Amino acid sequence: MAEYDQPPLSHPVPPETPRAGFARGLSGAAILAALVLACAAAPLMADGSAVHRLDADPVAAALLDGRGSLSFALLAAVLGGLLGIGWALLAGMLGTLAGNRAERRTIAAAQRMAGWPLALLVPLAGGLMGPVWLLALVTALTAAPAVAALAHAELSSLMRAEFLTAARAAGLPESEVVRRHLIPNLTRPLLAAGVLALPRVLAAESFASLLGLGLPPALGSWGASVGLAARLGDPVAFVPRALLLALALWAACAIADGMATGHRKP
Amino acid sequence: MKNASVLGAAKPAPVETEALTLMLGDRVLLDRATLLVERGQVLAITGGAGSGKTALLGALAGQLPAGVDMAGSARIDGHLLIAQGGRLAPRRPLALQVAEVVGHHLGLDLRSSLRRMADGLDRMGVPAAARRFDLPPEQLPEQLRWACLFAMAVAVGPAVLLADAPAAGLDPTVRLRLLHRLADWARADGVALILAGRPEDGLAGPADRVLALRRARLLPANPARTEPLTPLEPPGTARLHARGVGMSYPLAPGPRGEARSLAVLHGIDLDLRTGETLVLLGETGSAKATLARSLLCLPPPTAGAVVWMGRDLMATAAPSAAGDARGDDPDRGGLRRARRDLQPLFPDPAASFDPAMTLGAQFGLVLESLRPDIAADRRDHRIDEALEEAGLRPEAALRWPSALSVAEAAHAGLARAILSEPRVLVADEPASRLSAEERETFLDTLMAVRDRRRLSLVLATERYDEGLRDAHRGVVMLAGRVVESADAGTLRTAPLHPYSRAMLAAAQGERPALEGDAPSAFAQPAGCPLRRRCPLAREFCAQAIPTLEEVAPGHHVACHYWDTPADG
Repeated sequence: MAEYDQPPLSHPVPPETPRAGFARGLSGAAILAALVLACAAAPLMADGSAVHRLDADPVAAALLDGRGSLSFALLAAVLGGLLGIGWALLAGMLGTLAGNRAERRTIAAAQRMAGWPLALLVPLAGGLMGPVWLLALVTALTAAPAVAALAHAELSSLMRAEFLTAARAAGLPESEVVRRHLIPNLTRPLLAAGVLALPRVLAAESFASLLGLGLPPALGSWGASVGLAARLGDPVAFVPRALLLALALWAACAIADGMATGHRKP
Repeated sequence: MKNASVLGAAKPAPVETEALTLMLGDRVLLDRATLLVERGQVLAITGGAGSGKTALLGALAGQLPAGVDMAGSARIDGHLLIAQGGRLAPRRPLALQVAEVVGHHLGLDLRSSLRRMADGLDRMGVPAAARRFDLPPEQLPEQLRWACLFAMAVAVGPAVLLADAPAAGLDPTVRLRLLHRLADWARADGVALILAGRPEDGLAGPADRVLALRRARLLPANPARTEPLTPLEPPGTARLHARGVGMSYPLAPGPRGEARSLAVLHGIDLDLRTGETLVLLGETGSAKATLARSLLCLPPPTAGAVVWMGRDLMATAAPSAAGDARGDDPDRGGLRRARRDLQPLFPDPAASFDPAMTLGAQFGLVLESLRPDIAADRRDHRIDEALEEAGLRPEAALRWPSALSVAEAAHAGLARAILSEPRVLVADEPASRLSAEERETFLDTLMAVRDRRRLSLVLATERYDEGLRDAHRGVVMLAGRVVESADAGTLRTAPLHPYSRAMLAAAQGERPALEGDAPSAFAQPAGCPLRRRCPLAREFCAQAIPTLEEVAPGHHVACHYWDTPADG
C-alpha cells in the first residue's frame, strides 16, 4: 500500500543499516581468529620434521611459522597499545594539570613521530639486542606514537561531546560525569586506537625477520621463512607463507579500520 | 510590446509536466503533478526533509535519483541544475571548473568563460576584490561559493535553471540578498527559475509563485503562524540578572610570548522576569549561543556576573581550589539548586544524549541528581509524565539515543529539560535541525509547556519573525554586542537598527539592505562592526563603537545614525 505520511513520533524506527567498515572488521576478526586457531593446532597436523625442513608439508610449516609471528605480534601490540593509550592519557592529564600548552607539546611529539619510519628501528634492535622481550618492547615503541595520536584525537573529541555538557547541566559533579559518562564512552575508541598497533607491529616484525634481523629462527616467523624461501628460490615454500602473512596483515588492518570507524556516527 | 507578447505566446512554456508521478519503492513522492513555468517566472517549491524536492528536480533534469521510478510526462527546455550543496570540486581551482561548465554548454575557451563569469558575478553583487578565480572552492567563504555558482548559471544562460536548496546554510540576510539577485536576473533574461528548499529557507520571498510539496502533492503553501498560540501573559519580577557578561577564549601566545585571547561577548546586561520569553536574535558570529550558555554557566563567562535569585552563579560554578572541602559537595554553593531551576535545550538534541545509556537511564540520573526528593520508585512515573508532556510516548524511555529520529530527539531533549521542574529554560536553536511541520510541532509543544508551567524562556535563534512570534521581548545581537532591544511587537513592526531591519526584511522574504558578508571574529572592523555592510554608515562609524541608548521607553538601540534616512 502506498505510504503518504511520515511515521509518528516514537514510532519504531527501521533497523539501522550496518555502518561502513563493520562488515570488513568482522571479516578481519573471523580470518584472524581462524589463523590463530589454525596456527595453534598446526603441530597436530605436522610431523616433527616440518619445522626444520622446507620440503615438508608447506602449509603445515607455514602455520607453524605463524605461531611465532602471531604470538610476537600480539605481545608487541598489547604493549604498543598500552604505551600509546598511556601517552594519550598522560597528555590529557597534563592538559588538565599544567595547561593546554603542555598537552599540545606532548601530543605533537607523538604526531611527529607517527610520521617517522620507526619500523626501521626493529631490524636495528634485532641486530644489536639479543632478548626477544627487548625486541618486543622496541617494536611496541614503534607503534605507540600512532596509537597515541589517534587515542588523543578520540579523547579530545569525546571531551567536547555535548552529552557531557548535558550531564553537567544535570548537576552531576565532575567525578560522576567521568565515571558515568566519560569512561563508558571512552573504552571503545581507546580500544580501537590500541588495535591500530596490531598491523603495525606485525608488519615491522615481518620486515625485520625478512632481513634476518627479527625473531630467532627457533621461534619461527613468516617474514624469516619468506626471506629464506626467496633466497633458495623455492616457490612451494614461499607462496603459503607469503599468502598467510598477507592475509594476517589484511585481517589486522581490517579489524583496526572497522573498530576505528565503527564507533563513530555515520 | 505587442510583438513581444505575440512572440511569447507562440513559444511553449519551457517547463511543463503532465501527471508527473514519482515513486520510491512503495512510497509516493509526487502524485500526478501538473506544472507550468513560463519564461521569466520564478517558482519556489518548498517541503520538509525527505518530501521529494530533490527527486522532483532530478526528474525535471532527467537525472532521477537511484531507486525512484517516474510516470507521466515532463518536458523541459535547455536546463541547468544546481545540485544540493553546490557540488563544486572542493580542491580544483574555480577558474578551471567555470571553464569546464561554461565551455561545455557554450563552447567557449577559458578567457571567454571567465569574462562571462565576471559579468555573472557583477549581477550577483560580488565586488571585484573578492573574485579569486585561482582559489579552489574550499578556500572561498560559503557566501562567495554560492555567488560563484549562481554566476556560473548566469554565464551559461540556460532557458531553465533548477536550484536545489540554493544558498542553504547561509545567514538569512545574505541568503535572501543572493536569491533576490538571482530572481532579478531570471526575470530580466526570461529564464524560468525553479527554487526548491525547506519552507524556513525564505525561498518564497523572491518567488512569483510558491508551491508546497505536502503529502506527495504540490499544493499552495500554507501561511506560517504569525501570532502566539495563546495570548502571552504579562511577566512578573526579574529573577535572573546578567551584568557585564563577557566571554573570551585563550589563543596561542603571540610572537613575544604574550598571552592573547579572543573576546566574543562584550559586557552584556540582561534581566529575565518570571514567565517572560526573551528571544536572542542574531546570525553567525553574533554570540547569541555563547550568551545563552553563559547564563547557564556552561561554561561560566570570563567577565561579569550571572545572578539567579540573588545567588552569584559564577562564584558557585567556578572550579574549587585543590583540597577545597567543598569539592565533592553535591550542592556546592547552591549550584545544584540553580541547575534544577535553569535547564538547557541543545541545538543538536541527539548529540546531547549519552549514546551508551537509554533515555530512561539518563532521565533517572537527572532526577537522582536534581530531584533527590523524588523517591526512586516514583522516578519512572515522573519520567513518563515528562515524556508525554513533551509529545512522546512513555515507551520512549526504553530506547537508545541512536534509535531516535531527529524530531524525537528534540522532544526527548525537552522532556529531559522539564524533568526537574525548572523555572527557566534556556534554548539555543532547539529546532535548528528540524524542518517544516516537525519544526512547527516542536515549537508549539515548547510554547505549550512554557505556558502550562509558566516558565521563563530564553530562546536563541536566527529566525527573526519566528523567534519574536511567541516572545515578550527581543534582543538583537551582532558580533557579541546587543545592537537593539525592545518588546517583541516593536521589533516585529518598527525596528530601528539597520541590522534588525535587515533581519526583519529577510524573515519576510524581502531584500535586506545589507551588502557583503559578516566579518570574521578575527578581523572585526574598528568602530561599528556593521559599518562595512550598513546602508547608514558614515565616516564616524569607524571611530567609535556605538553604545546602547534608550530611544523610547524600553527600546534601546546601538547605532550612531539610527534616526538618519539611508540616503541622507
